[in-house]
Amino acid sequence: MTPIAAGYFDGKDSVRHDVSVLIGAGKVKLVSRDVSLEFDARQVRVAPRLADTPRWLYLPGGGACVTLDNAAVDRFAREKPFTRTLNRLEARPVYAVAAVALVVALVWLLIDRGLPPVVDYIAERIPRSAEKSLGEDTLEALGHNWLKPSTLPPNRMETLRRKFDELGMAAGDVGPLRLEFRASPAIGPNAFALPGGIIVVTDELVRLARNDEEVLAVLAHEIGHERYRHTMRHLLQGSATALIIAGVTGDIASTTSLAASAPALLLQTKYSRDYEREADAFAITLLQKDGIGPQHFAAILKRLEYRTKDKHRLGLPTFLSTHPPTEEREALARGAAGGAAKVEEDDSADDAAEKALARPPH
Amino acid sequence: MDKGATGPGAGAQATRVVRPEFTGSAGEYFRIWIVNLFFTLITLGIYSAWAKVRKKKYFYGNTRFDGQTFDYFGQPVAILKGRIVAFIAFVIYAFVGELYPVSRFVFLGIAAILAPWIIVRALTFNARNSAHCGLRFHFSGTPKQAAGVYLWGLVLAIVTAGLAYPLFMKRQRAFLVSSHQYGLTELHCELSGWAFFGVYFRAGLLVMLLAAPAALLPQYLFRHSGELPEYLSWATWVLPLVLIYAAYAVGYAYIQARTTNLLWNGTSGKGFRFSSSLSANTLMKIYIGNVVAVACTGGLLIPWAVVRTLKYRLESFAMTVTHEVVHQANPHFARVGATGQELGDFFNFDLGL
Repeated sequence: MTPIAAGYFDGKDSVRHDVSVLIGAGKVKLVSRDVSLEFDARQVRVAPRLADTPRWLYLPGGGACVTLDNAAVDRFAREKPFTRTLNRLEARPVYAVAAVALVVALVWLLIDRGLPPVVDYIAERIPRSAEKSLGEDTLEALGHNWLKPSTLPPNRMETLRRKFDELGMAAGDVGPLRLEFRASPAIGPNAFALPGGIIVVTDELVRLARNDEEVLAVLAHEIGHERYRHTMRHLLQGSATALIIAGVTGDIASTTSLAASAPALLLQTKYSRDYEREADAFAITLLQKDGIGPQHFAAILKRLEYRTKDKHRLGLPTFLSTHPPTEEREALARGAAGGAAKVEEDDSADDAAEKALARPPH
Repeated sequence: MDKGATGPGAGAQATRVVRPEFTGSAGEYFRIWIVNLFFTLITLGIYSAWAKVRKKKYFYGNTRFDGQTFDYFGQPVAILKGRIVAFIAFVIYAFVGELYPVSRFVFLGIAAILAPWIIVRALTFNARNSAHCGLRFHFSGTPKQAAGVYLWGLVLAIVTAGLAYPLFMKRQRAFLVSSHQYGLTELHCELSGWAFFGVYFRAGLLVMLLAAPAALLPQYLFRHSGELPEYLSWATWVLPLVLIYAAYAVGYAYIQARTTNLLWNGTSGKGFRFSSSLSANTLMKIYIGNVVAVACTGGLLIPWAVVRTLKYRLESFAMTVTHEVVHQANPHFARVGATGQELGDFFNFDLGL
């Protein structure tokens, strides 16, 4: 029974008493010049070991002892099995390396494999009507800065609306759809799907298209976003990912944890690309069902890309982009269109249109 | 009061300076951190409460002050309860808020009303579960006081278009520190509002000076983006972001360093006073280094960043003992073995020390 050098605090004041702790025969004894105490060993709670931090023995009555001699305490203290496991895992660098590999794999598994099915399940169960106010609010907010009233001739709008309704009929289970025309020099030729079945198409896109089929091809793609609830899924996936990253990186300063979430941001853009592919595939099936050749989709995609290339592009690499490469999307649509001769013909016509567009009238 | 004093220097009037010291290492903390992370993930977050306690115990047990380390007794189950409530509240807020944006104002209103109570609970939980030399800390601030400081302060800051913000920060930090007690030993804060104004004013100038090029750069780059080769075009949006972030880091480090110095240099108790000598320049270098290191390693260097920041903050802190005093336990909260059944820990409020 070797004495353990320790400090004793009576819990009433901050004075440290240097003592020797003697343990044996079911007793814990503290001995020094001015202290002589004896406790029942079963009533003394020994703090679990943690690295090599000073070890506390909590005594009945509110006093406590602290010692740097962890090895001596370990000889008589019986740790819980889990604490023993923790200490073993924390002691060896090789376990730390294994833990890094497991943590990376688990985070990826959780975000990339675990979340999407859960997100899909929830998104499918949110009533479409619940999304409506969100879509209306977004449309109104965009109206302040980005979207202006359309300047298209009313009969053109009328024709497109009628054809869009036919397309929506063919789409099946997508809920009520509404087509909105807006002028937007700032956004340029574009179309987007807002929650609640609102699809916005810019005048610029309608003007860029050489025929109604091309506009409808883009609209079919947007109906695909509505069909699969992409906005809602994106929101759910985004907030769940943020929660996981916040939980994983935990108690650190916000600016630093922001830096740690960069890889998660890259994952977000991957979902975005997956959604686009899903909407593309939907659009092609829908167009075929409606008797519109998917080559129109390929044609407008190509022209859209040509338009944006001329502008200031951000020069994003593929893994940072929210859309799949246009070549890939085009190939998909052309593949679905089948007839190679017809595509060739379209190509030459496209080139002429592109030359005309190189110097836009406005 | 002095009758129990035994240490050398007891009764003597010579002043001595006590500096905290961190005895842990980044490597050791990394091993604890990664094991914590692993268990947190395989339990889908439930273990995070145990992980937090283990982390706190590691930091407390390795922070040596006046010859003794700190001790933490927070119960993981109490922390888990707090986290579950916070998680549910967040999910409801995020979800309903997305569907009905108007509801966010309702949530914010409820949060504002509950905030003083939550803040006080969290601080009390943390203080009562922290001890040094066998004596527990205590937080004696009341929700009413917290409401006065936070809500009234925020309203004042908004009404004055931000001019009163430094005053709000001054009152907030003074409230946090002076409501803490170590046993029966109280802390007093005497802070000058003008000094806080000065810090924020200089920080504002500094940020504006640094952010001005960041605001002008995109225009310049966009005009000349045609001349840039394709593979460099990312610079048009990355460079301004880097500049804005750098300006933010400089401003943040400056405010952190100077207000922390003001706070501790104005804080004292019976027989002792504190001092702090953080350098804005050093702190800024540490922050920027942290962000670069953490971003480049996908978060793996977080433990290293946490440890080196803490080490520097502790190094800059000191207590000057002018008169040896034996600190007495608060008889109501003295029992060290008592389990803290508190709801607290909604937020991670950590004092500078």
